[in-house]
Amino acid sequence: MWAYIVRRLWQMLPTLLGVVLLVFVLFNLFGGDPAYVLAGKISNPEQIDNIRRQLGVDQPYYVQLGIFLKQIVTADFGASWSTNEQVSQILVTRLPPSLTVLVPLLFLETFIAIGLALAVAYVRGSLTDRAVMMVCTVGLSISILVYIIVFQYVFAYKLGWFPVQGWGNSLWENLTRYALLPIIIALVVSIAPNLRLFRTFVLDEINQDYVRTARAKGVGENRIMWVHVLRNASIPIITHVMSALPSLLIGAFLLERFFSIPGIGREVILAVERSDFPVIKALTVYVAIATMVVNLLADLMYKAVDPRVQLK
Amino acid sequence: MKNSRTAYTRARNPNAVIPALAGNVVIPAHAGIQCLARYAAGSPLSRGRRRNFGIYAPYAKSLLISLLAAICMLAQISSAKAADPRKVFRDVFPVAETGFDPAAVHDLYSAGVVRAIFETLYTYDYLARPAKLVPQAADGMPQVSDDGKTYTIKLKRGIQFAADPAFGGKKRELTADDVVYSFKRIIDPKIRSPYAFLLEGKIVGLDDAAAAAKKSGRFDYDKKIPGLEVIDRYTVRFRLNDTDYNLPYVLAHESTALMAREVIEKYAESDGRAMSNPVGTGPYKLGKWVRSSKIVLDANPDYRGFVWDFAPQSPGDDKLVAQMKGKKMPAVGRIEISVMEEDQARWLAFQGGELDTMNMEGPLAPNAIGLDGKVKPELAARGIRVDHYVDPEIQYIYWNMLDPQVGGLTKDKIALRRALAMSYDVDEEIRVIRNGQAIEAAYPIPQGVVGHVPNWKSTIKYDPAAANALLDRFGYKRGADGWRTWPDGKPMTIKYASRPDTLGRQQEELVKKSYDAIGVRMLGVKDKFPELLKLEKQCKLESRTAAWIADYPDGDNFMQLFYGPNSYQSNNACATIPEYDALYRKSVKTPPGPERDRMYREMTRILEGYAPHRMTTSRYRNQLIQPRVEGYRKHPILTSTWQYIDVAPDRN
Amino acid sequence: MSDLALKPPAASRRVIPHTVSPGLWTLAWRRLKTDSVAMVSMAIVIAFVVLMILSGLGLVARDWAREVGVNYAPPPFVGAPELPGTPGVENKVDAPAVPSAPTPGSAFESTVVDPIGDVISELRAESGRGGKGAPGATAASPGAPAAPSTEGGFVDPLADVMKEIEAQKSAAAAPSTTVDPLADVMKDIQAGKGAGPAADQRRATLPFGADKWGRDVIAKTIKGSETSIFVGLAAAIVATFIGTVLGALAGYYGRWVDDALNWFYSVFSSIPYLLLILAVAAVLQHKGTLTIVLILGLTGWTGVFRLIRAEYLKHKGREYVQAADAIGASNARRMFRHIFPNVSHVVLVQLSILVVAFIKSEVILSYLGFGVPVDVVSWGSMLNEAQNELLLGKWWQLVAAGGTMAVLVTAFSLFTDALRDALDPRLKGTAGH
Repeated sequence: MWAYIVRRLWQMLPTLLGVVLLVFVLFNLFGGDPAYVLAGKISNPEQIDNIRRQLGVDQPYYVQLGIFLKQIVTADFGASWSTNEQVSQILVTRLPPSLTVLVPLLFLETFIAIGLALAVAYVRGSLTDRAVMMVCTVGLSISILVYIIVFQYVFAYKLGWFPVQGWGNSLWENLTRYALLPIIIALVVSIAPNLRLFRTFVLDEINQDYVRTARAKGVGENRIMWVHVLRNASIPIITHVMSALPSLLIGAFLLERFFSIPGIGREVILAVERSDFPVIKALTVYVAIATMVVNLLADLMYKAVDPRVQLK
Repeated sequence: MKNSRTAYTRARNPNAVIPALAGNVVIPAHAGIQCLARYAAGSPLSRGRRRNFGIYAPYAKSLLISLLAAICMLAQISSAKAADPRKVFRDVFPVAETGFDPAAVHDLYSAGVVRAIFETLYTYDYLARPAKLVPQAADGMPQVSDDGKTYTIKLKRGIQFAADPAFGGKKRELTADDVVYSFKRIIDPKIRSPYAFLLEGKIVGLDDAAAAAKKSGRFDYDKKIPGLEVIDRYTVRFRLNDTDYNLPYVLAHESTALMAREVIEKYAESDGRAMSNPVGTGPYKLGKWVRSSKIVLDANPDYRGFVWDFAPQSPGDDKLVAQMKGKKMPAVGRIEISVMEEDQARWLAFQGGELDTMNMEGPLAPNAIGLDGKVKPELAARGIRVDHYVDPEIQYIYWNMLDPQVGGLTKDKIALRRALAMSYDVDEEIRVIRNGQAIEAAYPIPQGVVGHVPNWKSTIKYDPAAANALLDRFGYKRGADGWRTWPDGKPMTIKYASRPDTLGRQQEELVKKSYDAIGVRMLGVKDKFPELLKLEKQCKLESRTAAWIADYPDGDNFMQLFYGPNSYQSNNACATIPEYDALYRKSVKTPPGPERDRMYREMTRILEGYAPHRMTTSRYRNQLIQPRVEGYRKHPILTSTWQYIDVAPDRN
Repeated sequence: MSDLALKPPAASRRVIPHTVSPGLWTLAWRRLKTDSVAMVSMAIVIAFVVLMILSGLGLVARDWAREVGVNYAPPPFVGAPELPGTPGVENKVDAPAVPSAPTPGSAFESTVVDPIGDVISELRAESGRGGKGAPGATAASPGAPAAPSTEGGFVDPLADVMKEIEAQKSAAAAPSTTVDPLADVMKDIQAGKGAGPAADQRRATLPFGADKWGRDVIAKTIKGSETSIFVGLAAAIVATFIGTVLGALAGYYGRWVDDALNWFYSVFSSIPYLLLILAVAAVLQHKGTLTIVLILGLTGWTGVFRLIRAEYLKHKGREYVQAADAIGASNARRMFRHIFPNVSHVVLVQLSILVVAFIKSEVILSYLGFGVPVDVVSWGSMLNEAQNELLLGKWWQLVAAGGTMAVLVTAFSLFTDALRDALDPRLKGTAGH
């Protein structure tokens, strides 16, 4: 077990190195020159040179790459080029708002989707099943941009059920006030695909021999569904939910922008617009690490849920 | 033109020392006198006592006056503390702020916060239009001598930096050393101030210091600079390399806000900037700050305060003045600024009362504002007002004069540019893209800026027929596919660059439509703003719609946009037109006035002739204001005006 | 969830069992035929594809860019735009010669010093003289300044030419008898691109309204379907191709090839998808619709790779592959002639999942500013335009683009489901018990 974890962690290194190289190449070579934006309205070539020197982007590429690697090792990415805010500070302050939306969302959608998936799988093939699946498919086919625009307009503005936008100081205020509508929109968008996916996971299990055996032994249908099937179907579900988290962190940028939530996704867009490399680099590296760690955790949970799974 | 002479021009007379001539930003002493006047006029005490002093009356009177003045001043000082913390004003930024180090700030929004926390030597009268300079930290307008090469400026006494750990937890008085320090910082290469251009090449010895710093890697702040001289604790003298009548405007720019060395030394980050710990002498202090989300400013208890006293200038000002006159400022105890990127979010939030003001930009303007510039009746019924005026900006499409395709001074290229310019329908831009929220800008100097010519008739007008004729005449014949070719028969494609956003897309659509109408094939170039900017500054962009908003309200700020040596800097058309450049050089040495205006007019004709650009529009600003706000007037140059307004206290 | 993350749906980890039989496709088709939902959705998809081809050939919606209506012309059931007493945005079209300076009676007239008062009066006087768009009717000549005359002796470098042109133009005021040899080509250019009928011929309402410029929303939606479906299909093909080839190589060869490709895969899938898209967009610069195809295709292949690799891993040990080996088939032949047909249904299902995902991603790309160029229209560009229009009460473009997209995507998804079920009947909901 421990040997496995150590080996997996060890294997992350080359991947991380690849990520670093790719990000470095993509953004340093093609990512736009920040000096001109930072120089302001009137700048002369001399000032541009000065700024480039101050930022260190006039250094040869291998030196810059070396600095980047050093930053990763020391976990110190310095300060944002445009705001001078420490990158670590950016992560620490932008993560909580993102999580305030994402954690409840993740739990809600997982439980709702699992519940519904078991329910429709139970009546699989019936009219209800087909109707629910149809609704899901239709819901899935509408762009998230449309959901946001329409929901914000109707529920927040016209009906006044939620604040149009904003972010408070306390977690409780945010959860009960500002994060509600974004969470609802995200739920509407994400339950449909999850329900479809989880339903197939459940159906996969229902067709397995052990279900037939259990049924032959006279185990109740409810118990089969909630214990046997759920237990086994939870493996792919957990994997799926966990692996979605890192990409969600950044992927929720649309919600964050429309609802003025000071989260990570918005910061990424801002950083790219400003060619703010320290922020881009740090965010990419951290999210990449998070992705890999989460994948490892998912595999470990595989093992925990189903002891038959061999970790190799 | 008649109103456009600014206050400072009066100070050009070498002997004229005009003490606090505008006097609108009232200093404590002034406030004291005003307060005193009230006593003197109405108080039975003063009337009753006066008789009894007999021959000592003059002394006694002066004593009494000083006494009363002192009392009044105390009252004024305590008034600053009286800014009601329940009075909260909620503003919005459409773009995230960057930070609040005056020398390092380069975006308009952060500059607004800087304006509230810091003070500059000069500022602008709140109501006067066109914008008029008045003293802020300075005591009166500068004493100018030596043909506009030497400016001597006195500071008001008793101005205090807000108490801060950098001063051992106490407040500290502003002195001439702080002024010199603040100006040195702007040119310090390490800080890479985006407004270094305001000072570069102007002040005797300052550029040498910057050059030395570039070599040694460290700016020597202790070294004396001949052009920045401390005469005494409250007097500073600027010596210029050359006559420059625009220096007072520079002294009113946010980047020259007055800072304390201790603060920078305590809080500066590794690159010498202190973006997150602003400590100034202004009316507000930075309170809670959640980056790119919320900025809270609290009234600065150490601020000396002033009494609201501005003269009405524009229609509607009378009511405003009646509401505000005599109030102790700042009146608002707390400014809360939210950052909202999406138009939809801002507009819905304003309507829901979550914001006290917002700038209604073109895309959504028809929701709130009719083409007559008034708020829609349903909003007016709720008491919502609008401040509707033309921003001191110009928008123009330029063609890069160094570009092998559209550049050059030969007649065929001039004809091509002129034809392209004539194909563009500004009216349609105003109607469709700007939703009617802009006016045609024909003259390169916009409204509200010294040198503007109101009824200018450009020789370049929308006229596709003439444009077609012009192209035919110069051999840009149509190929078999109907598109025009170069005179040598090679296929012709003119590139037009724009930002990858909604506005950029609409601009590109209109340019494409215009070019189509004269048979010129257009290719859209889309890139992120940093990249476009880089190509533009390297003179590698063929054509783009550019905008320029006044840094200070003088025509020079605009006419320099086409001055040859400013290529690779601000001259984004990279135009070098000898006749223009010769005149421009003369205009710089000419004080604002009819003579310079004449030069500007001729320069404008030259631009129209060579067509490095096509003037398009100046946008309206539509500042919507909730009924609970009093005294709000958006200023064309000042980046924030929170210190001049009042709001009803919060309901809860 | 995956939609929110702007990521193509992760291919499920479930392994599709194999019924390796020659009649796989025939059987699947037979099953599909009995499924009415599948047939209906297939018909819709086919209809859209036909529409895309027709529009691509220029048979329908060719004049989508023509401005046939007034700005924001509403659908007839909403009613023609109200024309208020003061000229509104809409009927401004009727008087193109009047720049949108504040109209008479505006706040500006009461101004003590109206900064643009004389401009207004001047323009008002000018507009009385008729439209200036019509050739020959131009009152003020463009070259020879009417007023003020040039001071200081600057001589217009084109003065003589401009004078000549003016003379020509007034001569041409009478209907010209010479026939423009390019008349029809020109008409075509102008018809296709922008210039619409004269302002007074524009329609006040259109079947489903007009956009900002007065272009017919229905034509735009049809043209937009063409672009969006093309982008979705082409990007899906690119992604599936990359994923399949790499997956096949990794799964078939194993060892260091597998290690290397796996490394490549994990690098790609570890970088946040949004950043990857922005970075690839920056690398590719911005050239047109093909760029979008590449952005999506180059970033979206990872899911396919993982599935196909697993399939090849499984298949390469099977007897039929060993048999092929025995008869001396080359590696390439074994990979693509023998194994590929047996995994092709996985590829097909993945392809159709990706089409849907990419059509939706195109919308987000447009939001981020990496959408189609201006002479092309897509659902994404329409939805982004429509973003602010909803607040202005002009909902038709949002509904047209959003609705059409929903119909296609729904049909496509249902068809994909049916296809998967047909190819793999054990999974079908009705099985079991």
